Amino acid sequence: MHLKYESQLREPLVDGDKDYHQVTEDIVRPIEAKPTRLWYIGFYIAAALLLFGVYSVYREVTYGIGQWNLNKTVGWGWDITNFVWWVGIGHAGTLISAILLLFRQGWRTGVNRAAEAMTIFAVMCAGQFPIFHMGRVWMAFFVLPYPNTRGPLWVNFNSPLLWDVFAISTYFTVSLLFWYSGLLPDFATVRDRAFTKLRKRLYGIASFGWTGSTKHWQRHESLSLVLAGLSTPLVLSVHTIVSFDFATSVIPGWHTTIFPPYFVAGAVFSGFAMVQTLMIIVRKVFQMDDYITLGHIEAMNKVIVLTGSIVGVAYLTELFMGWYSQNKYEGYTFWYSRAYLFSPYGWSYWGMMACNVISPQIFWFRKMRRNLFVTFFMSIIVNIGMWFERFVIIVTSLYRDYLPSSWSVYYSPTIWEIGFYAGTFGLFFVCFFLFAKYFPVIAIAEIKYVLKTSGENYKSKVGHIEEQPLEAFVHEHAHHH
Amino acid sequence: MMASIKLQFEIPAKMKTWSLALIGVGLVALLTGLFTKGFSSDEHEQVQFWGTLMYNTIFWTLVCNAAMFFICVTTLAMGGWQQSFRRIPEAISAMVPIFGSITFIVLVYVVVSDKHHIYHWLDHDAVAADPILKGKAGFLNAKFFLIWTTLAIGLWSLLGWRMRQISREADEAPMDAEKGASFIWRNTVRASLFLAWFGLTVGSTIPWLWMMSIDAHWYSTMYSWYTFASSFVSGMSLIALWVIYMKNKGYLELTGQEHLHDIGKFMFAFSIFWTYLWFSQYMLIWYANIPEETVYFKHRVQGPYKGIFFLNLIINFVCPILILMKRSAKRNYTLVTFMAVLIIFGHWIDFYQMVMGSLSKEHVSLGWLDFGILSLFVGLMIYFTGRSLASKPLVPKYHPFMKESIIHQV
Repeated sequence: MHLKYESQLREPLVDGDKDYHQVTEDIVRPIEAKPTRLWYIGFYIAAALLLFGVYSVYREVTYGIGQWNLNKTVGWGWDITNFVWWVGIGHAGTLISAILLLFRQGWRTGVNRAAEAMTIFAVMCAGQFPIFHMGRVWMAFFVLPYPNTRGPLWVNFNSPLLWDVFAISTYFTVSLLFWYSGLLPDFATVRDRAFTKLRKRLYGIASFGWTGSTKHWQRHESLSLVLAGLSTPLVLSVHTIVSFDFATSVIPGWHTTIFPPYFVAGAVFSGFAMVQTLMIIVRKVFQMDDYITLGHIEAMNKVIVLTGSIVGVAYLTELFMGWYSQNKYEGYTFWYSRAYLFSPYGWSYWGMMACNVISPQIFWFRKMRRNLFVTFFMSIIVNIGMWFERFVIIVTSLYRDYLPSSWSVYYSPTIWEIGFYAGTFGLFFVCFFLFAKYFPVIAIAEIKYVLKTSGENYKSKVGHIEEQPLEAFVHEHAHHH
Repeated sequence: MMASIKLQFEIPAKMKTWSLALIGVGLVALLTGLFTKGFSSDEHEQVQFWGTLMYNTIFWTLVCNAAMFFICVTTLAMGGWQQSFRRIPEAISAMVPIFGSITFIVLVYVVVSDKHHIYHWLDHDAVAADPILKGKAGFLNAKFFLIWTTLAIGLWSLLGWRMRQISREADEAPMDAEKGASFIWRNTVRASLFLAWFGLTVGSTIPWLWMMSIDAHWYSTMYSWYTFASSFVSGMSLIALWVIYMKNKGYLELTGQEHLHDIGKFMFAFSIFWTYLWFSQYMLIWYANIPEETVYFKHRVQGPYKGIFFLNLIINFVCPILILMKRSAKRNYTLVTFMAVLIIFGHWIDFYQMVMGSLSKEHVSLGWLDFGILSLFVGLMIYFTGRSLASKPLVPKYHPFMKESIIHQV
């Protein structure tokens, strides 16, 4: 009796003539070799960006929020745009590891490790923005609810901004645990191959003394399932609560009930775009074509066209309701401040529409889904589009207040706002470069798990089953049902 | 094990009797309702009669259409596990033309006969005096309503029929790799057409037009997705019921506990998903506390619908999360049957409060007419789904993913 049979019509998940040893060799090789020049160049650029970000933040902390161009009505600008953008990107990893695990999508094994790493780094970047937006960042610990000596000065449990603190810190913790527990057996593999004492020691500590005993595996598997179960609602809750930051208000353009599921769809959309950007680079630089196949890329592009279309329906729904509600303020926000191309920020709305709704439709075509150049280009386009989305939501709803006398001047960022954003790119890529150098970028153990059902060489050996008549197949393979 | 696989469903006499009896009861209720209420000069009675028909027929049309949604989504996702029982959702979805026609007749009658106590926006004088309704007239008008309703029901029926047609090719002869790939490809194209249309109708316009516009002033961007979630989880429950029924009658040998477990996961997950959308819509409206929006919930939470409001949450959220959470529950035929009936009933109640809660704000009228009409629809559903199941093989023997579905371990 088999546990699984896979149709020959499905593409193999692992190409080439691989056995377990070869899988280990392929994936651990980049960790054991010296980094290439390209790696150093990339790393130093990222580090330079990070330093610029640190300096920008230093300006903001020292001289105050006035270093940014936020004004009387545009109280949130690039900062919160960037926060939501990064949090959104941080959705793909846990979606891949948790929800796709529950849906038994075998292809997740090729990309889950890097996607989870990306998630963690993206959430780290996201966290910077609300923290430094507080202005007096040394008071940041005020958001933690604990008995204190500040008298009546307590957190406001009615505020979605506080729910954000809980949601994101929970999400970060669980994602980190998920990612790290998956790494344990792989670290042990690297440890066992270590060629210096120091490597052996460090990877030994990192693997928590993993021995590979049946007991360890059994616990590991049940832990993964429990964490997957816990993470699934978290994938939805984080961006839901981020959407509450806007939707609980009465600001036109923010207060709309579709926000929670539409934010989640958008987050998955942008997260997958970032995974594509990174995976196409990783597969090229580390020659991982056998593990991140065109089939993987295509599957992710399908998720992108699906979520892009869901987001599209949501945009149109909102626009429609802006008119249908016959609420003058909603109508003004949606049909003038956003959808009217020649309004001050109309360009950002149409940029968003073009990047998020119109252009991803090319992924209805198989040829486009399997084209690396198109995929890479589109992944960047989608990331730009999703940044626009948050900018549109925040700035176009804020820049014209109810009273024309309080309409703000045209908001554009200062160099230090841009620097802060650039700095988070630096942080993200510094982390990602270090990850790619010292961690197995593909989950070795999980690839081995699907190798014998979905590996090219193994599949070719069971081709005869495909021709077997159904009755005979049932007789032979489903005996014990 | 089995020498051959049972492909032909013989409709049991009991099933026929029961479905006809339900239809009979339903017809009695329908006719009694028509003469005592439908033709009554009292507009409250009229509204009750037509409203009851509306929420029942809309509910059952959308639930059966959700079965086709399930087929199309699993097709696009390249699912394998559902092949062994896919003829069940196919047969359920064959109800769409039938229930769709009933919906069409009811809605057309309501609109053409100017029942403005149901759709306030049909009242020309009221619209002329009301700048808000006047502003909406581009969408809320009889002509657009009729065209869009015709298109929606017509294309669901047609595109669903095309999906069921292509599925028959898997009954004919074994497919080699090339033929199998082309079969999957053509399935994918047809499924995506259905889903695109589904997104433009069920996922957006149709629930606004058919149900939300009863409260002609009120609006909520979440409304259609919420309605979709409600009908989809009921559709999954209906699939579960039919699978279990067929298993009990000795059919579907290749479908087992493992498949049921997965269907149960869908029932569980989408009950939570429905709750998520329910909460998001309710909480945001409650939190912002804008009178134009809270008016929808005011009499539902604080007025006569209070009991139904909480019953809705208990049946559709508390019960599924507590009962279906455990693995063993989803693998237990009795429990899944119980939960499937409960979930369908719960969402029928949800549709009841969505429609009747807007039509008859002063008092809850849930009574013989509602259950009578429900009986009519359940009877029709059993009768025609059974006939549809008997009209083609129960298992798509030569479907390229059929073997994946047989070796399915959860």
